[in-house]
Amino acid sequence: MVRELIIESTALTKSYGPHIALDSLDIKIEKGATGLLGPNGAGKSTFLKTMLGLIQLTSGEGKVLGFDIRTQGDMIRQRIGYMPEYDALNPGMEAIHQVRYSGELIGMNPNVALQRAHQALEYVGLGEQRYRQVSTFSTGMKQATKLACALIHDPALIIADEPSNGLDATAREFMLNTLETTVNTGHRSVLMASHLMDDVERVCENIVLLHKGKLAAQGKIEDLKAIDREVEIHVWGSANKMEEALTDRGMKVRREGRVMRIGHTGDETYNQILRTASDVGTQVRRMHDHEASLEDLFLVIMERLGHDIKSSEDLLGGV
Amino acid sequence: MEEVESENTPFEPVPSKDEMYGAETPVTGKSQMQAAWSADSGDEEAGAQVAAMPEGQIFEQIYKPWEGTLNPRWMRNWAILRHHLLGVFKKGHRPWNIPTKLFIFFVIIASMTDVAMVLLFGMIGEPELYGIWGVNRDNMYGHVMGFFPRNILYYPIVAALLVGGMISEDRAHGTSAMYFSRPINRFDYAAMKFLSVGLILFFIIDGTLAVYYFADILVMGKGWAWIIDTFPLFIATFACGIILSFTYTSIGLALSSVSRGRFFPAIGLIAILMGTRSMAAIIDGLFDKSILYVISPFDAVAHVCQALIGTEMTYDHPWVWSLISVVVMNGLALYLLANRVSSLEVTRE
Repeated sequence: MVRELIIESTALTKSYGPHIALDSLDIKIEKGATGLLGPNGAGKSTFLKTMLGLIQLTSGEGKVLGFDIRTQGDMIRQRIGYMPEYDALNPGMEAIHQVRYSGELIGMNPNVALQRAHQALEYVGLGEQRYRQVSTFSTGMKQATKLACALIHDPALIIADEPSNGLDATAREFMLNTLETTVNTGHRSVLMASHLMDDVERVCENIVLLHKGKLAAQGKIEDLKAIDREVEIHVWGSANKMEEALTDRGMKVRREGRVMRIGHTGDETYNQILRTASDVGTQVRRMHDHEASLEDLFLVIMERLGHDIKSSEDLLGGV
Repeated sequence: MEEVESENTPFEPVPSKDEMYGAETPVTGKSQMQAAWSADSGDEEAGAQVAAMPEGQIFEQIYKPWEGTLNPRWMRNWAILRHHLLGVFKKGHRPWNIPTKLFIFFVIIASMTDVAMVLLFGMIGEPELYGIWGVNRDNMYGHVMGFFPRNILYYPIVAALLVGGMISEDRAHGTSAMYFSRPINRFDYAAMKFLSVGLILFFIIDGTLAVYYFADILVMGKGWAWIIDTFPLFIATFACGIILSFTYTSIGLALSSVSRGRFFPAIGLIAILMGTRSMAAIIDGLFDKSILYVISPFDAVAHVCQALIGTEMTYDHPWVWSLISVVVMNGLALYLLANRVSSLEVTRE
């Protein structure tokens, strides 16, 4: 099923003099939750700024929610809720008025903005704290206030830059739950830039991976994970022989004590493992598919495959 | 049908009057109230319907959509202006600190000393004292451009307190992201900030000037001839107030835009205003040359205003040089302001 595209770019390039910040990006982001990944300097911030229509492109084109990022920046920013990574709140203001003001800046009527600010703060779990000054808030409460500022006008797309940055376990859990609820029950889209793979994996079903301004990978996390699929076995007796035999039969083996992970090359892999175990006299006490984490996937893509791959199809085709 | 309805209703229907008081009405022992409210036996089985909530859950997160319409650009700009102006009087808007609010109040009162004197001497009918304080060319000039105390203790300090954190705090707190991630462009942002500071200064300087002028008319019962005679002076002085507010605001905001704190722009503005004037005064005293006053924003504006109002010139060089100086100083300040505002970031500083 083809889902509606919320962000689309073609050969999008941005350079600052000789430095190329974004290098011919062809990105398609569907409705739903998408993680924007990449190491420092990968171009995530520049990409977000281009999506907000704030900087002029060197070449290429892009659309956000159907609006041209070159000429319709105002229209885009009216329909997007942006949650910045760093502090973006006036510490001397009460949370309710901070959120109300952010609504007014989008063009909401002051009374409507105030009413909506109450709802937004209630939604992010600050209903009882809304008349407190922002300066008295913890990091988690500040993050939640920023999210309320982003949500006040019920945007079609929320861009959250490191939403769980600096949060403790409880606050992080709540933030991720809130983003999940926004996507699943609110039916809004989220583009989440983060360094925390677990967070992205928890909220998002798609990722866009940037590296040195280039697109390293994009697609569904589940699809991309298939490039690093392994079978994990727990063996008893003759583990060395087993490892050698598997390697001799052309299988890729990683071993730590009695636990081995063997590269999955097809359904025949299971039979080959069992046959090898039978041949060398090793007991296989446990065998199951090992699902790579997003972090594993990130490392695999960055280190093994490089950044010339453009899509999950390319990645999967190479396996 | 009636039987079915009575079965479905949660209370026992009240019998009609005929049924209640007719000869054939059976004796049931129920009062009318009991019949109406079912306050008899049988209520024990009734149960109230309460909202169902999973045990232990006190917060249910529900995303509520919003279908409203958004206002156009001028309304967004009005929101910025309103935020800064209302902050002086009300909570919930820009949090000006208490000393700033108190000082603005003090300066408004202090700027109206001439109004008080006009009222006093006008009412007690003392012509000589009224002559000192009443509306005339020099007094109107003095209300706006008088150096002591107005342009050393009042207006520059109010300007310094206002511009102090106006842009620098957006840079320090990251609140610039709140503006620029929304459909606010940099011109609108800078213009509304400028207008906010400029209008507060304008209300203090020109607002009190207007009170002074119109109080004199009302108290002394001035006629149309006097009004026609002095109104051009009032307009010229009013224009001087605008030039002074504009100049203090542009220099102050330029300093605020290059800073991350409140102190530097405030002290920088006062240092520029007082430092340039002191230097020019020393040179004037030593070499009897007033030309260096063109580098002093206050003196350049004062010289232009002397020409506009037609009061006695206190500088030797041509006033056009001062006019050029005012234009250049404001141009440079606005260029710096525009340049620095364009560098304010959305993602990180």
